[in-house]
Amino acid sequence: MLQAHSFFWNYLWISPNAYLLLLGILLIFKGIGRQRPAFATFAVLSSLGGLCLYAADVLPSVSPVNFWRVDWITLSLESILKFAAIGEAFSRLFNRYSSISKLGKYLVSAVGAILVFVATMLAAFSSGDSTVRLISGVHLLDLTVFAIECGLILFIYALAAYFRIPWDRHSFGTLLGFGVSSCVYLATSAIVTNANPSAYQRTLFDFSSMATYHVTVLIWFYFFLVPGKNRDKKPPKDDSDRRNSNPPASPGSGSKEDEASLQEWNRELERLIHQ
Amino acid sequence: MILAIVIVLAAAIALIGIFLLGFPQALQLWSKASIANRIQPLDVEAFRNLIDPAEREYLRRRLQPAEFREVQRKRLRATLAYVQVASQNASALVKMAEAALNASDPHTAEAARQLIDNAILLRRNAFVAQVRIRAAIAWPDSNTAAAPILTKYLQLNGSAMLLGRLQNPSVPVRISSN
Repeated sequence: MLQAHSFFWNYLWISPNAYLLLLGILLIFKGIGRQRPAFATFAVLSSLGGLCLYAADVLPSVSPVNFWRVDWITLSLESILKFAAIGEAFSRLFNRYSSISKLGKYLVSAVGAILVFVATMLAAFSSGDSTVRLISGVHLLDLTVFAIECGLILFIYALAAYFRIPWDRHSFGTLLGFGVSSCVYLATSAIVTNANPSAYQRTLFDFSSMATYHVTVLIWFYFFLVPGKNRDKKPPKDDSDRRNSNPPASPGSGSKEDEASLQEWNRELERLIHQ
Repeated sequence: MILAIVIVLAAAIALIGIFLLGFPQALQLWSKASIANRIQPLDVEAFRNLIDPAEREYLRRRLQPAEFREVQRKRLRATLAYVQVASQNASALVKMAEAALNASDPHTAEAARQLIDNAILLRRNAFVAQVRIRAAIAWPDSNTAAAPILTKYLQLNGSAMLLGRLQNPSVPVRISSN
């Protein structure tokens, strides 16, 4: 079962890409693609790239050298789109609040620059897994991209947590998916490029990477297509409804829920201002 | 091999960090009760007194330099505690406003967004102020500039009151037991 080109291996390569392509198309049709153009583009093009890479792997007419060339192209394209999608999620999250948007951009730029330096150092000190430059280059590029991605996402989560910035569902899902996949891929590519694993171990790492990708796509499906909890009551339809929902102040006229909510507000504000 | 182990450990820590930092906030694991417990009363007058430059000058004139530094350190530690409480209250208010962020009434949603914006600004300023206060504890003659925290805190209270009022306009919101 855990062999290259087994049914399970084929499934894990094709299905996440097919699901991601489906997600990209659904996002475009549902109008979410207009709000999240970078992520929708990433979903469509990255999945197509993955399927092209699969075709290049199984088609006998494609030589090994050409397979690695296709891998280079898809990886480069995917990396650019991925960082665009992360940037989009970050902007959506931080641009809503003027007090943090500028500072957030400066901090992320500074951390990004540090991460690029660190990732370059990691690549420079990595031994590489092949004497063929084309192959080892792909894995070193993997290592560099995932190190930057992983650090950047962790920093965005830390920044949002420190300032208690309320997450929107799409940004959280986007970054969670990229975060989980980049951490697993970073660990995998570190072992592949530095620990000289056997062919069988490499196949196992391929399986773990493909399974992680599958989980990542399911995370994106969940956060983009499953609606979140609606925290607010339905808006009143007209003026008469509005009057009914907000009756004039008189003892006992407000709903119990409103009263409880208001009492909570009052209690907390009284605690807050203790003069 | 050592590099591989270091990177694998770093990736594992990053993954745990992402879950720990992201999930409690995104899944709203804070209950209303725990948010309420996080809010601590802040004596605004005492805070104002601590950051008053005139008060500091008065102490400097009246006390011996060594005595002044000792007293000033105590005052700075108290100021630090006040700034920390203000920052903590701001984060609790963000949680309370979050529920109103998706309100159907645009005024309520805007007030919630404004409250969150003010709270974030306060936390940002509080972070800088805490660094400066810690530096001032080591060197008590320097200026701490914690005054903006108080101004922002009062502004934050205004935003909180506005949101409370918009959530239920029919009943006046009390802000003090006085």
